[in-house]
Amino acid sequence: MSRLICQDLSKAYHVGKKRRLILDRVNLEVNYGDRLGILGRNGAGKSTLIKMIGGIEKPTSGTIHYGMTVSWPLAFGGAFQGSLSGHDNLRFICRVYHLDYEETLDYVQGFAQLGRQFYDPVKTYSSGMHARLAFSLSLAIEFDCYLIDEVIMVGDARFAQRCEDELFAKRADRTLLIVSHNTDFIKHTCNRAALIHDKKVFLSSSVDEGIEKYYSL
Amino acid sequence: MVNKKVRSAKKHVNLTLSQSILTQLRVIYALIMRETLTRYGRENIGFLWVVGEPILFCGGVTIMWTLVRPSHEHGLRMTAMVVTGYVPLVLFRHAVVRSTKAYAVNSSLLYHRLVTPLDIITARITLEVIGVMMAAILVLCGAVSLGYMELPEDWALTLSGFGFVVFFTYGISFIFSYLTERSDLLEKTVSVLTYLALPWTGAFVMIDWIPPKYRWVLEYTSPIANGIEMMRSGFFGSKVVPHYSICFMTYTSLLTFMVGVYLCLRVRPHIELS
Repeated sequence: MSRLICQDLSKAYHVGKKRRLILDRVNLEVNYGDRLGILGRNGAGKSTLIKMIGGIEKPTSGTIHYGMTVSWPLAFGGAFQGSLSGHDNLRFICRVYHLDYEETLDYVQGFAQLGRQFYDPVKTYSSGMHARLAFSLSLAIEFDCYLIDEVIMVGDARFAQRCEDELFAKRADRTLLIVSHNTDFIKHTCNRAALIHDKKVFLSSSVDEGIEKYYSL
Repeated sequence: MVNKKVRSAKKHVNLTLSQSILTQLRVIYALIMRETLTRYGRENIGFLWVVGEPILFCGGVTIMWTLVRPSHEHGLRMTAMVVTGYVPLVLFRHAVVRSTKAYAVNSSLLYHRLVTPLDIITARITLEVIGVMMAAILVLCGAVSLGYMELPEDWALTLSGFGFVVFFTYGISFIFSYLTERSDLLEKTVSVLTYLALPWTGAFVMIDWIPPKYRWVLEYTSPIANGIEMMRSGFFGSKVVPHYSICFMTYTSLLTFMVGVYLCLRVRPHIELS
C-alpha cells in the first residue's frame, strides 16, 4: 500500500544567532486514503510540518518518503503571485503542470465562481475568494494527497457545499492532511487525528481522543 | 511527451531523462512568460518593455557618445565601438543585478514542486538575454541605416564573441544568485560592484590600446573583455589587432557555469520563504 512516511523529521530556524527547534525528530505515517486532522496550539509547528511535506521547506534533518503525489499546501499566501490575476496564475499552473488550458479554465471558473474578479490581481481578493481560487486550481490537478492549511474554513456556505462535493464526495478516496483549529470540522471530516505539541507529533487512536487531548493542553 | 488531458499529478513522477529535460524546459518557459507579466504588466506597452529597457540604455548611450565624442578613435568608428561595448555590458550588468535575491522575491514559485531555483534564475537571465539581443538588433539596424556604422565584416566571429559573453553571464549570475541569497552585505553592494567592474569588462577600450604592461588584466582575467574583443574583431576585421583566446574563454566560462549550477542546486535550504 502506498504511504507517506516522515522519518525523524526535524526543523530548526535561525533567528539572528539563535537556533530555534520547531520539530524534533518527528515520525508520521499516513496511509493512502487517510484523512488526518492536525491539531496544535499557535506556533506549534503545524504549518511547518505541512510545508515540509509539501516540499517547500527542507527539513533540517530526517527524510520524507513519498509513496503518493502530494499537492502544494493550500494556505493563505503562498502559491500565488499577488500582483498577477487569478487568470494569469491559472495559465502559469497550466504551463508548469502541463494541463489543457481551456479545460482547466472551465473547471476553475465553474468551481471558484470568481466572475470578473478572476481577471483582477490576486492581492485584491478577499480571503474567501483566495481560498476558492486555491482550491479550484489545486483540484484541477489530481493529486493523491491534498495538504490543507486552515484555508478551508473561510469559504461561504456555497463554497463549503462545493468542497463537500468535489473534495469529500468525488475524491473520497484521496488522502487529506488538514490543519485546523475547528474541532467540529476535524471531527466531521477526519478519520485520524494528530496533535503537535512540544516539538513532537502525537497520533491518537481516535479523532475524539485527539480532540480531547487538544483541549486538555 | 505526457498528455495534456491527463490531469493526474502522477504523470510528473518517475520521468525518464528526456522527459525531465522537457519538463524543466516547459517550466522555464512558464517562468519567462510569468516574469514578463509581473515585471512589465499589461499597462502601456507591456511586455515590449523587455526590449524597451535595454534599448533606452544602449540607444541612449550610443546617441550620447556619438554626439559628444570624436567620430573616430584609433581609426575605429565611435558608434560601432559603443554598440559593441555597451550591448554586452548592459547584458552583464542587468543580468547580475536581476540575479540578486532572485529567490526570496519569487519564493511563492517554490510551492510548485516542479519549479527549481535553477529554473527561476535561468528564466530571469534568459529574459534579459532575449531583451538585450532584440535591443541590439534594433540599435544596429538604426545606426546602420542612418550611416553611423557598418555591418560586421565577419558575422560568425561577432556572434560567437557575443555567445561567450552570454555563456559567462549565465554562470556569473547563477553564482551571484546564490551568494546574494546568503549575504545581505553582498546584496547591498552588487550595484556598486558591477559599476566598479566597468573597466574590467573592457567595454570601452580595445586591449591593444592599453600599454602592454597592463594588458594581462583584461586578457587573462576577464572573459567578458575577451568576448568583446572577439566581437570587435568580427566587426572591424583587419582594422584591429584583437587579443582574445577562445581557449581561455571556454574554460573560464565553463568553470563559472559549472560552479554556478552546483551552487544553484544547493541554494534551496538558504532561501528565505515569505
